[in-house]
Amino acid sequence: MSDVLLTIEKLSVMYGDFIAVEEASLTVDEGQIVSLIGLNGAGKTTLMSAVMGLHKPASGKVVFNGKDITSAHTDRIVAQGLSLIPQGGRCFNRMSVQDNLLMGSFPKTARKGAKETLAHIYELFPVLKEKMRDPAGSLSGGQRQMVAIGRALMARPKCLIFDEISLGLSPAVIKDIYHRIRTINELDKTAVILIEQDTRRALRMSDSFYVMLKGRTVLSGKSDEVDAETLKDAYFGI
Amino acid sequence: MLKRKFTPSHVKVLDSPPMLILCIVLAVGLYIGCFAGLISNKAMRYLVQIFLYITMGEMWNLLSGYAGMTSLGQQLYIGLAGYSVAMATSPLFGLPLFGALLLGAGISVVVSLFMSLILFRLEGMYFSIATLVAAEAFCMLFFAWKFVGQGAGMTIRINPYPTLQEICILSMTICVVALALVYGLLRTRVGLGLTAMRDDITSAASVGVNIFSHKLLVYVIAAFFTALAGGIFFVNKGMIYPDSGFGISWTISMVFIAIIGGTGTVSGPIIGAIIYVFLNEKLADYPGWSNIILGTITILVILFLPNGIMGTLQKKLHFEIFSSKRFSFKLKKAAKEK
Amino acid sequence: MYFIQTLVNGLLLGGYYALIGIGMTMILGIVKLTNLAHGEFVIIGAYMAAVVTSALGIDPILSLVITVPLMFLIGFVLQYVLIGNAMKKGPEPALLVTFGLSIIIMDALRLIFTVNEQSISTPYSTKTFTVLGINISVLNLVLFAISIVSILLLTMFLSRSYVGRAIRATADDAEAAALSGVNIKKVYAIAMGVSMASAAVAGLCIGMKSTFNPTSGGAYLSTAFVVVVIGGMGSIPGTLIAGIVFGLAQVIGGASYGQLISYVMLLLVLVIRPRGILGK
Repeated sequence: MSDVLLTIEKLSVMYGDFIAVEEASLTVDEGQIVSLIGLNGAGKTTLMSAVMGLHKPASGKVVFNGKDITSAHTDRIVAQGLSLIPQGGRCFNRMSVQDNLLMGSFPKTARKGAKETLAHIYELFPVLKEKMRDPAGSLSGGQRQMVAIGRALMARPKCLIFDEISLGLSPAVIKDIYHRIRTINELDKTAVILIEQDTRRALRMSDSFYVMLKGRTVLSGKSDEVDAETLKDAYFGI
Repeated sequence: MLKRKFTPSHVKVLDSPPMLILCIVLAVGLYIGCFAGLISNKAMRYLVQIFLYITMGEMWNLLSGYAGMTSLGQQLYIGLAGYSVAMATSPLFGLPLFGALLLGAGISVVVSLFMSLILFRLEGMYFSIATLVAAEAFCMLFFAWKFVGQGAGMTIRINPYPTLQEICILSMTICVVALALVYGLLRTRVGLGLTAMRDDITSAASVGVNIFSHKLLVYVIAAFFTALAGGIFFVNKGMIYPDSGFGISWTISMVFIAIIGGTGTVSGPIIGAIIYVFLNEKLADYPGWSNIILGTITILVILFLPNGIMGTLQKKLHFEIFSSKRFSFKLKKAAKEK
Repeated sequence: MYFIQTLVNGLLLGGYYALIGIGMTMILGIVKLTNLAHGEFVIIGAYMAAVVTSALGIDPILSLVITVPLMFLIGFVLQYVLIGNAMKKGPEPALLVTFGLSIIIMDALRLIFTVNEQSISTPYSTKTFTVLGINISVLNLVLFAISIVSILLLTMFLSRSYVGRAIRATADDAEAAALSGVNIKKVYAIAMGVSMASAAVAGLCIGMKSTFNPTSGGAYLSTAFVVVVIGGMGSIPGTLIAGIVFGLAQVIGGASYGQLISYVMLLLVLVIRPRGILGK
């Protein structure tokens, strides 16, 4: 059917003597939404940080868009078209909203046509256009997430990783943001990885899912085919 | 299942009886040697410097390596002590050496208490810079002060002037007391708190370590012993002027000693001080090139021996002298688990 | 009248002191490195300007065309190859490396240029003119102009260009900047290069304003620290204000108390506003 975009093969990550991720594997097809669920401390964020080159993996392999990106520098990975929106958004608080968004087009591949992309993002998030000159630090939590999403979109990624985007937001805002993620996925055919703790919401959104427990990927499958009991067992490790 | 692999972090602690006895024997031997005049003047000159630099390096290590206060201004207390000694022993006041040294250390403690009011509101680089600037401000004061000879400085006239032998014994005593204190302190609850602060200050605070009082204690102790060492240093030298008393090179020597030896270890500064003193002595043979050589060695050690000499040895050989750890991992058991 | 004269002198010198601080503010605010070699960097700038000026027989200000790019390159390489690697080992090792650099530079300059005082003379070094009864030194005016132009150029670079934005973003949150595709190591190297380039300009100004020798760096290091901390690390407008405050202190306190006044001022600022006048 569709081509494989991202493959994570038996990736392990160590923090000193502590194994945070052990031989985790994951595949994302082009245009697909994949959810990565699991308890706090299961290693979801660490796994994705390692994929992005923020941590050096101890072993394993990451292939993105046909290229081996294991242990590549983060800026190279971003330039390849893989972006991560970190927990809490992590906007550049002292810079204006517009400068934050423009930062997203830093990779040389994204600089051409940055203006059009910017207009597109203002269309997607009209609030940001109103506040384009305000420092990002003055915005609300939901708006800061929008800035972070917009910033990542400016690089025109082929695949976007959302790290617990719903953390600390109100249900209405979460719903709104999820709606926009769907739009992004459908319009631009951008593949999406959702790191989530809320299993039900993640499964409703995604085509396929992976469950992580204590550093390993313990269960995976199609989101609409899984039965609740199996999922619960894998999630809590019973 | 999550596994914990026990790899290199176990360390065998060698401070239990044999090592401690060896150190005490060494110290007693040196004492007897000094008293009996068995040690040559040249050796004693080295020893004085080594003892004083060990004291200063150990204090800086305590400040930065444990309490996370990277001070660039410890020369403040050296200068204050040096000038206190010079003034108090001058014919005008005529204090004996001991009195003058204690006076200098006392003044330093008072100033350090006052400085803590300003400094402890600051963190990181702001703290470092404020300590440096405070020392510079005192330097300027002494530059402008007529009584202490302004830029030309003061000659120290103690009556009777202590002999090299006495200076050596005195500096050794201070060094031993300082080492014992640091070693003891790190093994008490306070030391546990300090080690926790070094690793993560927020978590330390959240488990009930009183950050302020720990910092204050360490800062004042460091001021006291740095001042004692500084005072003796200038007695040995015979004169003091603002740049020699309050120069940043003092702190840089301490940083060098602590980092070259290995920060966060009690034994590191001992090795660091010995290396520093001999290096300085050897480099005097290369006028004009000495700083180039010292600077290059510094940079090379930092780049290639990241844990300092003691730290690297510890990692390679899995042992630790004078550890503040209260137990040692069993190496054999760990090897089996692997 | 005396009051206004003092104010004008202090203001004109303010740009000069801000220029000495500006390179330091980049490094402290962006690279988060306490650079103990900044004073020596400035002195290298002064020697370079002196050599280029006398070798080519041109106006000292034109020497910047050569010294600024050269210093940028040196700074970039130093950070990329040396200081960046030391920074991985923690702030204290990095600090000690910059100190190692500072003493190496000091001795190297002494070997090359001897310990004699040098200066860069210009035809307008001693000229003054009077406006409304206020004496204005042409040299001070030139220094002020150089400083303001440099600071404006730097501000524009930081706010308008992609690299400038990346520098500000890195100062704010280095990991998030990396996730936006920024090569942090390179950005730090560029920041150090810019800092060195500003040291080239500051060095030229110091050479024209007073004499210098291989060991004069230390005094300028303290000046830079004071200006940066009063202004707030990483804040360019703050640095300019702090430079003017510092300049006024120098003019009012004179040679013997000027420095002391500024140190006390710095400690006061730290107590009242620990992040500097314009710091956040």
